Amino acid sequence: MSVSRRAVVGLSVFSLCLITPSRAQLIQVKTLPLAQGNQYQIFPSANLGMASVSIALADSALDPFVNPATGSRILASRFFGTPTVYTISQGTGGGRSLPLALLVRHAKWYGALSLAVQQVDPSRAPQSDGGVFVTDLPPPPGGGPFGSSTVPTQPESESHGNQFAFASIGRRMPERHLSIGASMLWNGLHAVDGVDLLYANSRRLEQSGDAVDLRVGALKEWPTDSGKGARSLQAILLHNRFAATHTVTYADAIWNPITQQFDEQARIEHNEERTNTWGMQMNYQIPLAAPGWRIGWLAVANRASHPKIPTYELTNVPAIPRDPGYTHAFNLGMGVSRVEGPARFGIDLIYEPISSYTWADAAVPTPTAAGDTIAPGGKTIENRFRFSNAWFRLGVEQPVKEGAPTSFQLGLILHPIDYRLEQQDNVQLTSRSVRATWWEWTPTWGLSYRQPRFELRYQGRATKGAGRPQAQIFFGDIRALSAAGSTILAAPTGPLFMTDVSTVTHQISLSLPLR
Amino acid sequence: MTVFFRAVGVVALVVAAAACDETFPSEGGPLSIDAQLRQTLGQYGVVPIGPVARQDPALVELGRALMFDKVLSGNRDIACATCHTPSEHATDGLPLAIGTGGTGAGPARTLGPGRSFVPRNAPTLLNSGIGMFYVFWDGRLTRFGPPLPEAPVPLFGEDVLQAQAMLPVLNRREMRGEPGDVDVFGNPNELAALGDAEPEHVWQAVMQRLLGIPGYVSMFRAAFPNSSTASLSFRDAAAALAAFQIAELTKTDSPFDRYLKRDDTALSPEAKRGAVLFFGDARCLSCHNGPLLGGRDFASSGVPQLGPGVGRGAPLDRGRGELANFEFYQFAFRVPPLRNVELTAPYFHDGTIPTLEAAVRHYSDVPKSLRTFDPATLPAAFQSSYHGEQRTIDTLLATLDFRLRQPLNFTDAQVADLVAFLKSLTDPAARDLSGIVPTSVPSGLPVR
Repeated sequence: MSVSRRAVVGLSVFSLCLITPSRAQLIQVKTLPLAQGNQYQIFPSANLGMASVSIALADSALDPFVNPATGSRILASRFFGTPTVYTISQGTGGGRSLPLALLVRHAKWYGALSLAVQQVDPSRAPQSDGGVFVTDLPPPPGGGPFGSSTVPTQPESESHGNQFAFASIGRRMPERHLSIGASMLWNGLHAVDGVDLLYANSRRLEQSGDAVDLRVGALKEWPTDSGKGARSLQAILLHNRFAATHTVTYADAIWNPITQQFDEQARIEHNEERTNTWGMQMNYQIPLAAPGWRIGWLAVANRASHPKIPTYELTNVPAIPRDPGYTHAFNLGMGVSRVEGPARFGIDLIYEPISSYTWADAAVPTPTAAGDTIAPGGKTIENRFRFSNAWFRLGVEQPVKEGAPTSFQLGLILHPIDYRLEQQDNVQLTSRSVRATWWEWTPTWGLSYRQPRFELRYQGRATKGAGRPQAQIFFGDIRALSAAGSTILAAPTGPLFMTDVSTVTHQISLSLPLR
Repeated sequence: MTVFFRAVGVVALVVAAAACDETFPSEGGPLSIDAQLRQTLGQYGVVPIGPVARQDPALVELGRALMFDKVLSGNRDIACATCHTPSEHATDGLPLAIGTGGTGAGPARTLGPGRSFVPRNAPTLLNSGIGMFYVFWDGRLTRFGPPLPEAPVPLFGEDVLQAQAMLPVLNRREMRGEPGDVDVFGNPNELAALGDAEPEHVWQAVMQRLLGIPGYVSMFRAAFPNSSTASLSFRDAAAALAAFQIAELTKTDSPFDRYLKRDDTALSPEAKRGAVLFFGDARCLSCHNGPLLGGRDFASSGVPQLGPGVGRGAPLDRGRGELANFEFYQFAFRVPPLRNVELTAPYFHDGTIPTLEAAVRHYSDVPKSLRTFDPATLPAAFQSSYHGEQRTIDTLLATLDFRLRQPLNFTDAQVADLVAFLKSLTDPAARDLSGIVPTSVPSGLPVR
């Protein structure tokens, strides 16, 4: 795969913000090969180093945080400390999380509690020092400077913090071989990785908001069939609400034709991002005839509504208004696993069809090329995305030698993304079709050391195949930009230069039994 | 189990191989080169530069005298125009400037005994009076904020050019001299004897010199008729220097400017092709943008390191990264505006690239250009100042602006087109600046 990509992308980023462990219950949508940090890797996982395989293989550490009903599988209360660090190469981002988690069990009841603090670095390249050049405003009255106001003199370089709190509770019903549970994850948001890249020319970005993820889950485990392991069926119903406000400060340079100088002026915009998602997941596993082998099936459905999505300003990418809209996303997958003592193997194959429909509203009566008028509230732009994505995950865990307390993990995740956009401009009465394809691949690795008194894991992953936009300056008319909510600003006249980057995540997990 | 794992591995490899095929949407139909270029220029805010405001003639004449008068230097041996000489289009033709103690002019100028090079190339003063966001290679002065500690001037904002003019007289290597120096007449250099922490004292001492010369007294009176002689300060001298630069060194009537004013015949076909490349695939606009084609950005361009270095980074020059609170701009320097660039070789902050064609080829493959840089291309006096250690090159490549990390691999024809475009940025009036040189200056010191 080429290292540098010239993506002539007439698209905007469409990236649903997830506040959940990177599993399939919430399906991410993105229309640009934008590298993203593993910001939400905040829970312990036993399978992270083996590509996070999950369809036919249990993850004893992560499952209780994904499906609260699976807390019934824990044999004893445990404490987890899971410091996680990720970096994005080329100095384009990074973050650190310190999650502490508790899994407890008492009689038929069980639950989990987790708190995490996180620091996320700015994503922008240090050299970016841009702003909007405005060169066609008439001279200011009297020939003096354009109105000036204080603007930040350099791009922000400080890190910002997020907080996470998770709680779940569940109950076993042994007589029915059933467990149920419910969980809530709250995320106080001040730094979502990569969002600052989407406001390419800003000097300052303040993010504030929160996200809530509510789930109920059930786990049915049929009695074990002669040592082959239990059949199991999991079901999750979730509701996820994401709400963030982006306060963006731009330093516009306004060319003054009288003085032949630039005047610099701050422009502050408040953009809101709102996404509400309903989702469900079914996961069915059965043992195969051969000892230790299991097969599983996965079905996930999401319906996301986007009452408000910002129109980002990515350089050279025509902004596509996407406000409001909705998305339907599905995962259909199959997995196979084998567990033989401490050795484990798993493979997942998932097909991920997604359809998304978004549009722009006319704020005022808008004349069309045909001479008629679109009434306020009518659709000026309609975007229909059709994705055919896939996931391939393969992972193994093996003791370094027979009976040794140390095991290693290896894995590979491949994620092809393929979509077509059909865009209808109801003002210009034009349409266009764009297709984009790219692959993201993630090798994973890990090492674990188990003792009766504790378990120590180191796991890592490195994602390649996506990039980060380079620092560029957009030139144009500020007034046109401010009208971004109702029209396409520019034809796709230039390339968006993306530089491929690697996102590397390291997680150390210490697990201590409490009694 | 082993067989199964192998099979899975084969599947993974096949899928991974398929991953190498990626497609992205492409653009629409072809446009004529003029249509293509004008669409691009409109999108990227490139507008013709208009006339600058008329400057007060008395102020300009005072500035002219000050620009060429060596009395501003501690040793009375160097004027502003020594390093910004009209014969070299308001620069000096040297990789690094040679300050006080040096002899000769232009590219023939040589270091004085015991002196070292000024760490950076003398930037041209052509068009320094328009659209200036930052001055100095590290941008320590800006129109949009207070001066940094490294530029202790009492001015900022719109007076950035005036503020800039106040700084070279403070710099020991450039104009002030070292303690113990004597001037060209053998007299003690009183400016060099002053401490570095009190710039006001230096400026006062320079003004004392100037106002001790009757010719300057009358010129200051003409330029500042409402100010008493006692109230004059070096700020006023700096204002005159700025007015001179604006009036005499603004040269913007280039073929490219005429093209921007809708004259399709102003550019040759080669220059048009070069412009399309410049604003398109060559990505030059990523830094060289706006009406001036530069001036607002900083970039670490992988330029070979030359000279004595600056500050804590010496013997290297970390550029803007040397300034307090700007450490993340390691080896980044101001992106210069490009009008008249043809005339102002050598290029970059340390003048290591001798020609326009070599500059374009540098950008064709920056890592390769840096690794294969031949110091023999430098004038002999500078060759031993080159820092070609592998560690230095690795450091520069590690901090290289990521816009420049991937080779562009220009063909020879593309290089020629880009050079043709860059030459179209030359105002013919900038080719010969001999008319701005005064016949004499009030101090009576030699002008040349």
